[in-house]
Amino acid sequence: MLANPLALIAEITHRCPLHCVYCSNPLELAAASSELKTDDWRRVFAEAAQLGVLHLHLTGGEPLARADLEELIATAHSARLYTNLITSGLGLSRERLKKLVDTGLDHIQLSFQGFQSDRADWIAGTKSHAHKIELASWVLEHRIAFTANLVVHRQNLDHLDEMIAFLEKLKPNRIEIAHTQYYGWALENRAALMPTAAQLENAVRVVAEAETRLKGTIRIDSVVPDYYAQFPKACMGGWGRRLILINPAGEALPCHAAGVIPGMVFDNVREHSLKSIWQESSAFQRFRGEDWMQEPCRTCERRTEDFGGCRCQAFLLTGDAAATDPVCSLAPTRAVVVQALRQSPTDVISPSILAENWKYRPNPSRA
Amino acid sequence: MAIPESSKPALAVGCRWKEDAEEPILLFPEGAMKVQGTGLAILELCDGQHTFPEMVAELQRQYFGADPKRILDDATRFLEQLHEKRIVDF
Repeated sequence: MLANPLALIAEITHRCPLHCVYCSNPLELAAASSELKTDDWRRVFAEAAQLGVLHLHLTGGEPLARADLEELIATAHSARLYTNLITSGLGLSRERLKKLVDTGLDHIQLSFQGFQSDRADWIAGTKSHAHKIELASWVLEHRIAFTANLVVHRQNLDHLDEMIAFLEKLKPNRIEIAHTQYYGWALENRAALMPTAAQLENAVRVVAEAETRLKGTIRIDSVVPDYYAQFPKACMGGWGRRLILINPAGEALPCHAAGVIPGMVFDNVREHSLKSIWQESSAFQRFRGEDWMQEPCRTCERRTEDFGGCRCQAFLLTGDAAATDPVCSLAPTRAVVVQALRQSPTDVISPSILAENWKYRPNPSRA
Repeated sequence: MAIPESSKPALAVGCRWKEDAEEPILLFPEGAMKVQGTGLAILELCDGQHTFPEMVAELQRQYFGADPKRILDDATRFLEQLHEKRIVDF
């Protein structure tokens, strides 16, 4: 029997004041004019709660770019969803933060790009670091969960211990160290972002030390860099098993990057109920279960743990979305990952040189 | 980490019960937990009002007949785990 989805990831807009080089949004961003209206989202949140969803993650783009964010949080709260705002914090005033909390926000996840403004702003492609620090102090005025999120890659990993020390001072409940995952803009910039083996080894040590030091004070969660892993990640907890992502235009996707897979048709919440999408849509059924699996996944004892890894990554790196995720050491196509690691430069480059060589994520068009 | 005798364990910031659930579900950042049995009995006493020794005394009363030492050990271990996950403060 098909289990209920547990979380809804709502990309409520692709508009964003930041231009992060590791952004996981698709290369083809949803235009502002295509965005779902407030009432569409309200219906979707109510349907999600009925379907058994527990957590709502409001993300983007930058969710603060939507003027109706307060209304959306209020709706989610009255549908009894646990509501998480994933944000750069840019443009969030002390007053608006209070409004968001008063309407029912449970958790704020604030992203950081580094520990010093110049380098952090260079990665984000905009001035934002100083404001984030001020915002963090306002978050502590409220009884909501606070996660400081740090995306790491070759250009900032040498400073991981300083970055964790910096985040500790902001007094979050949780620190998330997220190694860049190579989709969207991050894949475009992979050569500049891929960490070296030595950086990774150091990062594992630094995170372990921080976990011990901060035990009982700040919880540390890490997202590992899968190119270096022995086995793939259980992407999205398995295709169509736990999560639904709705993009700004209302299309329901089993995964952030699923749009890259050829032949996918995504039902739109404007035309279909969330329940029928979850149970019947071709997109959610395509890689659900095990029938689609090839060897070695089909007979692998790990298939119930990692579900063959990531379908989007399999397609992006091998051209076959049903292949074993090539980051797996058992994958027949593992060589493409080994080659990507071997070909990645190992240098940490000065901002001025790199700025010319990497692609900042742009803003979507208005029309 | 030992639980200080004077502390009054409570759900941490950002952790709460799901109000309309058929069976008790504890919600927290990036996760949820179905709770039943002794776990539920322990968590229901994490209200910021009871000290840890008071909680244990209450549990020993609720589970009269069970080994009191075992109740103390189980409650200590359970709360320490939840403390590390930042679900319970003490």
